[in-house]
Amino acid sequence: MSVRNPVLTVTSAAAITALLAIPALAHHGWSWTADGFFELEGVITEIYLGNPHATLAVDVEGTSWRVELAPPSATMRAGFTEESAKVGNEVTAIGNRSREETEPRMKAVRLIVNGKTYDVYPNRVPPS
Amino acid sequence: MQEALAALEQLAPVQALKVSFYVYPLVNALHIAAIGALWTSIALMDLRLLGAFSSLPESASLAIFRRIALVAMAVAAASGLALFAVRAGHYAEMTIFLVKMGLIVLAGLNLLIFDRLAKRPRSRRALALSAIASLVLWMAVLICGRFIGFL
Repeated sequence: MSVRNPVLTVTSAAAITALLAIPALAHHGWSWTADGFFELEGVITEIYLGNPHATLAVDVEGTSWRVELAPPSATMRAGFTEESAKVGNEVTAIGNRSREETEPRMKAVRLIVNGKTYDVYPNRVPPS
Repeated sequence: MQEALAALEQLAPVQALKVSFYVYPLVNALHIAAIGALWTSIALMDLRLLGAFSSLPESASLAIFRRIALVAMAVAAASGLALFAVRAGHYAEMTIFLVKMGLIVLAGLNLLIFDRLAKRPRSRRALALSAIASLVLWMAVLICGRFIGFL
C-alpha cells in the first residue's frame, strides 16, 4: 500500500462528512423556519437571556418547546429583560415554527407575557 | 460540579460577555480563527507525514507546523473556555459537547503516542497511522463543535 492512498481516503472521508454537516448550519437565521405566522401558548419553564441566542423553554400540554428570540441585546432593546418574565408565567409567542413539523421549536418575533407585548423582531411582526 | 459551573456563569466578566453585543462575536471570531489555524497546521503536519508536500524538508516543516498548532490550541482553548462559561451548566449537559472534549483528549493521547513512536527507528507505518488518526479525530472535533450551536 502506498502512503498516498490513505491521504486520498481520509481527504474524501473528511469532505463527505463536511457535506453531511451542512444542513445543521441552517439553524442560524430564518431558513429553518416555515412561512406564515405560528402562535404558541404555554408556561415558561426556563429563561435564558444571553449569547448566542436568547431562548425560552415553554411547556405546552407536556411538550417542551424551544422558543428562540433575537440575540440578547436586541431582545433587551425590545424591552424584554430578566424582570419581564418568570418561570411559571404564561406566555404567548408569535413567530415562525420549524419547517420540520415534528420538531417543537420556533423563532418568535413577538412575545406576550403578563399582559405586555414585546416585539423582539419589530420589522417582522404580523401587520396589525 | 453543577455548583462550580453555576459559579463560573456568575463571574462578572462572564455575565458581561453573556449579554455583550460586540465582545461575544469577537471572542467567537477569535475561536474560529484559532480553530482554522489549528486545523490547517495539524492537517499540513499529518499530510506531510503521509508523504505530501515532499519538497518541504520534513523535520523543519513539522517543527514549524507544531509550533503554530500549539499556539493555536492555546488560543482556541482560552476563547473556548470564555464561550463555554457563558452557559457552562447547559453545555456541560450536552452529549455533543462531551463528545467533543473526549475527542480532544483522544487527539492529545494520539500526539503522546506519536512522540513515543517517533523516537523509535522504523516506525514509519505506525507514524502514518497516527497521522491518519489525527486527521480523523480533528475533523470530528470540528464537526462536533459546529453542532453545539445548533442542538
